[in-house]
Amino acid sequence: MLRLLISTALAAGLAAAGVTGAQARELKVGAANVAKYLDPGRDHSNVGSQFYYNSFDTLIDKDHEKIGGEWRPGLATEWHLVSPKVMEFKLREGVTFQNGEAMTAGDVVFSLNRMYQATFPPYMVRSKDRLNNFEKAEKVDDYTVRITVKREEPLWETLVNLQQVMIIPEDYTKALTGDPNVAEDSDYEAFSMAPVGTGPYAISEFKPGERVVYTRFDNFWGDKAPLEKVTVIHIPETASRITALKTGEVDMITNVAPDQLPLIDADPNLKAAGSVTPLFHVMIMNTNHPKLRDPRIRQALSLAIDRDALNEALWMGKAVVPSTHTMKEYGDLYMPELKTFEYNPGKARELLKEAGYDGFEITYDTDAVYYTNGLLAAQAITEMWAQVGVKGKVNVVEKWTGNSKDMMTRNWSNPMYFADPFGSFGVMWAPDAASESEGRFTTDEAYRKTWDKFRFSKDVADRRAAYAELMDRIQQDPPVLPLYRPYESWAMRKDVEWAPKPGHIPYVLDFRAGAIAFASN
Amino acid sequence: MLTYTLRTLVRMALTFFVIVTLVFFATRLSGNAIDFLAGEGMTQRDREILIRYYELDRSIWDQYLAFLRAFLDGNFGLSFIERRPVIQIVVERLWPSAQLLLSAIGLTLVVALPLGVIAAIWRKHWLGSAAMVVAFLGYAVPNFILAVVMVLVFAYWLNWLPVVGNGTPLHFIMPTLAMSGVLIAALTRFTRNAMLDVLGQDFMRTARAKGLPERAVILRHGLRNASITLLSVIGLQIAGLAASGSVVVESIFAWPGIGDLLVSSAIRRDYPVLQFGVITVAIAVIVINAAIDLAYAWADPRLRHQLKG
Repeated sequence: MLRLLISTALAAGLAAAGVTGAQARELKVGAANVAKYLDPGRDHSNVGSQFYYNSFDTLIDKDHEKIGGEWRPGLATEWHLVSPKVMEFKLREGVTFQNGEAMTAGDVVFSLNRMYQATFPPYMVRSKDRLNNFEKAEKVDDYTVRITVKREEPLWETLVNLQQVMIIPEDYTKALTGDPNVAEDSDYEAFSMAPVGTGPYAISEFKPGERVVYTRFDNFWGDKAPLEKVTVIHIPETASRITALKTGEVDMITNVAPDQLPLIDADPNLKAAGSVTPLFHVMIMNTNHPKLRDPRIRQALSLAIDRDALNEALWMGKAVVPSTHTMKEYGDLYMPELKTFEYNPGKARELLKEAGYDGFEITYDTDAVYYTNGLLAAQAITEMWAQVGVKGKVNVVEKWTGNSKDMMTRNWSNPMYFADPFGSFGVMWAPDAASESEGRFTTDEAYRKTWDKFRFSKDVADRRAAYAELMDRIQQDPPVLPLYRPYESWAMRKDVEWAPKPGHIPYVLDFRAGAIAFASN
Repeated sequence: MLTYTLRTLVRMALTFFVIVTLVFFATRLSGNAIDFLAGEGMTQRDREILIRYYELDRSIWDQYLAFLRAFLDGNFGLSFIERRPVIQIVVERLWPSAQLLLSAIGLTLVVALPLGVIAAIWRKHWLGSAAMVVAFLGYAVPNFILAVVMVLVFAYWLNWLPVVGNGTPLHFIMPTLAMSGVLIAALTRFTRNAMLDVLGQDFMRTARAKGLPERAVILRHGLRNASITLLSVIGLQIAGLAASGSVVVESIFAWPGIGDLLVSSAIRRDYPVLQFGVITVAIAVIVINAAIDLAYAWADPRLRHQLKG
């Protein structure tokens, strides 16, 4: 019996040692792209979004395991409305930044107001499309902060959880350049080369475009980071990334193209994890182009495209073709029942006839490489147009032509900047947002009213009804066709347990507790 | 000699000015940086804010003048993306690229010169033919193919060599081979031809007739005379390699060099970095060419005497 006890204890001890051994491990990641600057406020790129969640926190955090998102305390432990337009946040005590400074209300107010009342132009731009409704943040006491909005806000948690309002240290940032008591533009610029946050990993080395090194931050307020050190290095070439993974130079790689997956699967030491990216590749159509003013022509261009065929041919069927501008990630606002876009070449032909299409050439602009499969899709689309009698022409361009009045159609993407239709459709297609301001889409009073109802209704059912109305408008007078949501894969050694979590924005490399582990071999 | 040097320097300066001007306007032809900086979904008003912020609202001539002024005060501006001085960004990348270039040149000289001489002397022997087969192969295989095949064989299958970065001497093997493949091929062929020209000359017979050992005949009288042709070839090839040869190789081996930097800043339209990067490369090319010009004078006594007179 004693012997049994001893051996059990030994085994348990060994297992525990094994676990701590695993916890002490390092990870090397080969990434197709490494950020050239790191400032969660300024950035909303797919390259940058990989890096922030490991090192920065928001007031309200989210359970990223779940689609739709369940809010949980972040740097704020509780929050409640003190009046219809004012939310009060109790801050977590004992939180320190990675440089050793204690986090207090001053830092939170500073971080939030740098976006809400932005003076640094890149912040101004970033805050206008999503944080326009936020007026100010104020300190009540050292651990209480109030945020005031201009109109009653139905998306409080969503918009306090944004990457752009992650919390950064005030004193540290202000002291980076010039007067240590004033936040100058150059302070924010310097911050993006030496970023500091409250998250579980400190960024201990940053070589723009080359490498990001994370080191475990032992004074993190939450669950200890599972890795001692993570190094993300830039390996632009796909074949080299895969080779580096195979030879053991790195443990994990990003951006594995669908046609490379069999190579990973065939190797007994490697595996892949993938997900459909919360981002649409879209085709945009200039509603104000003299030759495309008739909505029937644009409807026909959209109806002629067999998006499932594109998915099969270009993404090996792994992409997702949406029936409307919607994704699962929207949670309650996910509305797959709407059939805004379909493939119907017969109807396309009819509409073209009705509209009196006389065979004029319709151009489709695309960059040669910017979007994965972008050029191939363009060629396939013009072929599909030919099937219904449209004379299409692919224009390979280097410039962004979405703001040119001569642009007829082109490709673009609509990423999900946060999990709500406002965070994807809204940023692009709201009144006065990107598309309208570029002159290729026009909204009228009715559209504005519906948008307003969608944006500010407190009742989810009202928001859904309004969104359905908006989609109806898009169908009748189409400026856009979401083609598909691309499929993105990561590959890793078999014993690395990691997968993209469904609650994140695109491309986040989450290495926090519970997000990554090593299987004991 | 002094006027010759001066003339070389003036030509350098002129070439440089033309390059600088071309670079400035060419980088701006390919689209507005703003469209690539802020990501998707930007309104026209946002664009204007950023255009002002990045000082792109000034007229193109104003910008050009400011850019030329930078050559006087050394302030080449900040990267649009990193917001650090471009000089700092480019200098960080310069040494890794230079290392790779130097090791490629070194390998080329060590391999190609003997190979070329062998091919010339034993041109009817199988040894000479073998040398030429190597040379033709190197010529026919583009460096990216060579690089990818090496990666496949020595890393992917055999796992002998690392693929990523420039950490250890082992990391140099594949990129150096990939860079110098074409160069070795070219130089071997030119060395052979130049040697063949020289081998039939009267002074070679004289050298042999006065009883010099064959090695001295070949090296001192043969190769030394062939070197004038070889210098111009080497100069051209190296300049070409410095200008563009490294881009593909650096990208395949994730080499943190200037080629990689140029590509990424071209894609993002980071004009300040792109401009300064291209100028740095241009300076390197010009300096290499000038050095070769001066080396001629050293190699060719006729030129040297002519210059003196």
